[in-house]
Amino acid sequence: MLKKRAATNDGAPLRTLESLGVAAKRAERPTKESEARQIIARAFKEKLTVLSMGGATAISAGTLPERVDIVLDMTGMEGIAHFDPSNLNMTVLAGTTLDGINEFLAGQGNGFFLPLDPPFSQRATIGGVYASNGSGPSRLRYGTMRDQILGVRGVDARGGEVGFGGKTVKNVSGYDLTKFLIGSAGSLCLITAATMRVYPLPAASSLCEVFFPAMGELEKFLQALRSSVLLPSGVTVEPVKGAFRVLSAFEGHPLAVERENRDFLSMAGTFGGKGEAKMGREVMGEAIRAAIEAEGETTAIKITVPLSEGPATLSGLKELAGPAKTVLFAGNGVILVYGADAGIIDGAKRLAFNGYVAPLRLHRSLLSPWGPRVDPVLEQFVLRPIKEKLDPSGVFPPIL
Amino acid sequence: MEKERVRDALQRIVGKENVLWKDVDLTVYSYDAGLAKGRAGFVAFVDNSDQVAQIVSFLYKEGISYVARGSGTNLTGGTVPSDGGVVIEFSRMNRILEIDIENERVVVEPGIYNLTVQNALAEKGYYYAPDPASQKASSMGGNLGENAGGPHCLKYGVTSNHVLGAEVVLPNGEKTWIGGKALDAPGPDVMGLLVGSEGTLGIATKMVCRIMRSPERVLTMLCIYNSIEAAGQTVSDIISEGIIPATLEIMDNLVIRAVEASVHAGYPLDAEAVLLIELDGLTDGMDEQMKRITEICEKDGAVSSRLAKDGNERNILWAGRRGAFGAVARLRPAYLVCDGTVPRTRLPKALSEVKKISEKYRVPIGNVFHAGDGNLHPLILFDDRDADELARVHKAGREILKVCADLGGTISGEHGIGTEKLREMSLVFKDGDIRMMRGIRQAMDPSGLCNPGKVIPKEEATPC
Repeated sequence: MLKKRAATNDGAPLRTLESLGVAAKRAERPTKESEARQIIARAFKEKLTVLSMGGATAISAGTLPERVDIVLDMTGMEGIAHFDPSNLNMTVLAGTTLDGINEFLAGQGNGFFLPLDPPFSQRATIGGVYASNGSGPSRLRYGTMRDQILGVRGVDARGGEVGFGGKTVKNVSGYDLTKFLIGSAGSLCLITAATMRVYPLPAASSLCEVFFPAMGELEKFLQALRSSVLLPSGVTVEPVKGAFRVLSAFEGHPLAVERENRDFLSMAGTFGGKGEAKMGREVMGEAIRAAIEAEGETTAIKITVPLSEGPATLSGLKELAGPAKTVLFAGNGVILVYGADAGIIDGAKRLAFNGYVAPLRLHRSLLSPWGPRVDPVLEQFVLRPIKEKLDPSGVFPPIL
Repeated sequence: MEKERVRDALQRIVGKENVLWKDVDLTVYSYDAGLAKGRAGFVAFVDNSDQVAQIVSFLYKEGISYVARGSGTNLTGGTVPSDGGVVIEFSRMNRILEIDIENERVVVEPGIYNLTVQNALAEKGYYYAPDPASQKASSMGGNLGENAGGPHCLKYGVTSNHVLGAEVVLPNGEKTWIGGKALDAPGPDVMGLLVGSEGTLGIATKMVCRIMRSPERVLTMLCIYNSIEAAGQTVSDIISEGIIPATLEIMDNLVIRAVEASVHAGYPLDAEAVLLIELDGLTDGMDEQMKRITEICEKDGAVSSRLAKDGNERNILWAGRRGAFGAVARLRPAYLVCDGTVPRTRLPKALSEVKKISEKYRVPIGNVFHAGDGNLHPLILFDDRDADELARVHKAGREILKVCADLGGTISGEHGIGTEKLREMSLVFKDGDIRMMRGIRQAMDPSGLCNPGKVIPKEEATPC
């Protein structure tokens, strides 16, 4: 029998949800998987609803219910359960932040890292990034959660323990629920721990910063960059006063990084871009972080389009969004828009007709009129039946 | 009469000449590259996704089971019609629909061979990363169904990392798109679920795959060892050094001798093991990395090493690796591939256990494997006409998979579960895990007609 836990003292999760239009009756903050299991088992028995929350950096990626009985504050489940440098993997509890993980890894041996860099990584938890399919510019080289995750542990809608995947890079034993649950926003089960790939810190890192006066030449440059042999870890493009600022990160052998800096700047120059290269991992990380984040608790949406449509979509959004911050992960066709309102969202939907517009952090009032976010056939014959089967009493939030 | 009615319906959809029903024709579709056997009532050759949807819709209404089949190279019985029904044959849906360089995507039909896609992309300076050894014969749809890997998956990931979208015919015959050219379709990763589901949750009829620019330079080196454990140690040491090669492949002496007799790749016959190492990427810094790798190989006791001088020599070295399964098939009438995976550092222990199992069950076992991924492929050689030997082979295979599970690995790295590893699922999953998988299957295919009997054990299955 679980000793009844008091709601967290500062009530922060409740206030966060309230600010997004969600009324939560109480918060619970499990520190162990067994506690989480008991909370959910009780919720199942008593027909209560549970919404899990990490750093709330992309809390609107799923379906935000109007009311919820229990908000499960996952930040209590924090820590490194296992680190295996020889096999390049680690198991972390779901409430551990990405910055916490990377600080730990950087201090091990010659240094390691986990290449997931969504915005607000100081607050974003591994469970939250998993639930919302969060990503950052480094997905250009390293991919996203689906490329880094090896296995998950969790709790099903009845409070039972489940686990999928494992610790090996290759694994086709049974259905790949490790991948399927990515982006499910806690609607099918609660994730309590994740086993991730990790990488040795590269011998050299650099950041190239280049300014282009106009989108036309920049678009040609990005196309040339994509078809070149250069391998940037991530490229961001953001409109700045009367110009476009491009950041490109390079990592690897020092000779390769040196060559990439040189070729990148030279190629940019061909298309009218001017800038410089700086060496160092910290310089690179800080600049990229600043480029993809916005100050304050602002709204955020994510737009994805085919790669080649990224620059034009960014231009269109810039006109729509005015002073709102927009940034493109070039080479991935991902654009973040901060400070989005209903007008910007509608415009984004028109611009991204070949892709998707997804909320990351929005008030419920903006989510309600959104309309279907997945294909109706997929919703009717795949997602809804799965939801009804795995969570028949609706403990977790509705599936998209 | 009933059979004729079904045949007529199939013929109306795909044409009279595209339905097989005679015993002699059906025999060809009664097996794949594994050991399982089955018997379909019909084989229907499809030409487009509308035909697939019409067939599935018809079979769904009639309560008849079906299995989609590409080239039948599956190694675990996944494409065997184990419940009779209809084989939906995809070899004629083999077109490249679009090579979209601008968006780094290729759109293909599922029946096309992996290598055909690779060759078309190579002409444009691009490639598709998953490269199963069977790529000459295995289809892209089959690769999707099995989540196929291949040597280059060490650095670039497996099929599920590269298939971004698919047109899918669901088990009730409805057609839909999952994912596409743009990334991050909202909601759960349904594409990630579909890849590796062995055709039990739907049938892909078009695939959108990521393509990548061919690397500026490739270096391939063959290292010779007097012990397979030493070769395994080198694999761990290279990766611990922070170098992630494109491939790290090991073959043992039995396989080396078979390959030399068949492919003549230039592997030394007296070597206990060879390690094939490939680096790719930018030219700058690559020589330095290969030099460091050579030092590691020497430290671990490599007898010698040989760097491929050019593309031709590299192709010859790879012909040996890619032809290994075929070469081994010359030694005995049949073989069973155990596709277990272990954490990389447990490879030496796993190999030593495989050797003991070979002795215990008196069956020769060759080893050829993706060492960088810890993905073993012990090949148990036997004569399938010898019932006693066949029984020992099955026992040896199960024991190898148990070793992999006990060492912290899993029972399949890239060949799937099919019908052949259903019992072993309990080695790596608890009841609750399997219940959740079964729930998904029942939700998507409530009538259980879509490739029945594969991947998920029935509820009454007894754990081994």
